Amino acid sequence: MSELDGVLRELGRQVEFPPTPDLASAVRRRLGKRRSWRRPVAIALAVLVAAIGAALAVPPARTAILDWLGLRGVDIVRVEKLPPVPAIGDLDLGEPVTLAEARRRSPWLLAPAEAPDRVYFSTAIPGGKVSFLWGTPASVRLLLTEFRGQESYIEKLIEPEAKVEPVDVGDRGVWLEEPHVLAFRDRDGNFREDTARLAGKTLIWQRGSVTLRLEGDLSKEEALRIARSAD
Amino acid sequence: MVVSRPPTEEELVERAKRGDESAYEELVRAHQGIAFRTAYLVAGSAAEAEEAAQEGFVKAYRALGRFRRGSPFRPWLLQIVANEARNRRRSAGRRAALALRAAAEGSSGGAAPSPEGALLAGEERERLLEAVNALRDEERFVIGCRYFLELSEEETAAALGLRIGTVKSRTSRALEHLRESYV
Repeated sequence: MSELDGVLRELGRQVEFPPTPDLASAVRRRLGKRRSWRRPVAIALAVLVAAIGAALAVPPARTAILDWLGLRGVDIVRVEKLPPVPAIGDLDLGEPVTLAEARRRSPWLLAPAEAPDRVYFSTAIPGGKVSFLWGTPASVRLLLTEFRGQESYIEKLIEPEAKVEPVDVGDRGVWLEEPHVLAFRDRDGNFREDTARLAGKTLIWQRGSVTLRLEGDLSKEEALRIARSAD
Repeated sequence: MVVSRPPTEEELVERAKRGDESAYEELVRAHQGIAFRTAYLVAGSAAEAEEAAQEGFVKAYRALGRFRRGSPFRPWLLQIVANEARNRRRSAGRRAALALRAAAEGSSGGAAPSPEGALLAGEERERLLEAVNALRDEERFVIGCRYFLELSEEETAAALGLRIGTVKSRTSRALEHLRESYV
């Protein structure tokens, strides 16, 4: 162990990286220009959104952030091809708690009518993240995750043809039928690679300041029924 | 007596927070080397690393309001830069092998050889580097961060968006794999 350690450190000193470009000057120039380029971009996006209209057909751009869906807590990004991720990633559930305890820690919580098998609380998101789980962590039947806030803590990557269907639940919601990649972000908004995994059918909706996400092998109608029962 | 000394990093950050762009330029200059190399390790090409590092620095400037006073600047910055690098790699949808090349033969820099220098000569060095290059991305990244960029476990965790526990377990798994292919 220690020998390989030393050898790698030694190797590290002999590894050649490309020369560092003069980033300081380039960054300085961009800071000065900040206001002049942001506005045209915003206008271009607005035009794009208007052109797309209600059809929700997204142009085959390499990446298009669908934040115009109005879901604050989630970013849905189209990518050409899903990156390879584990089918079962780190669910990042946090610690098991009782429903009462979860409510005490996150008073905004919306509990579904059907009692879950387990409830978890995680501090990965400011204000807490609560997960209701049906089944067992090793064999999840349904997973409902809730958190509150203005920032987006979930990133979803979908393929170009995957449908994003707006549905009538809460203030606004979408249904994703196809497999997609799901990952959480940390408090600074950075993508947490260790939470990336493949997700199946998912309903995401917003109620007030709470973002809810229900995943499992269920039909859209079943998902909507559970979603509408959450109170 | 008034002694003029260069401003500390914390002072530069505070000035940059108030909109002092030249203070921020100094911060960029101080960290651009490690930021660029981290981005290179993750993105796999010099061009993408340059773009990612530049974008990361600009985003970090705009996010300075969220930076907690007194906490270390470097891991915070590396996290943002590496995230940019990862996004570029991801959206490009490719997994190019990162070609790390050993520098020119011998210790041409004229510096005295380090104590471990004797451990690693010519051919062996090539073989070990090959073994590192053959690792899966997630293992190569931790080895690169920890040994080639000499980042701490905390900085590695920040840069790769992992928990410290994950960094530790991935490092030991990677070392295990290296040991298997390099004996």
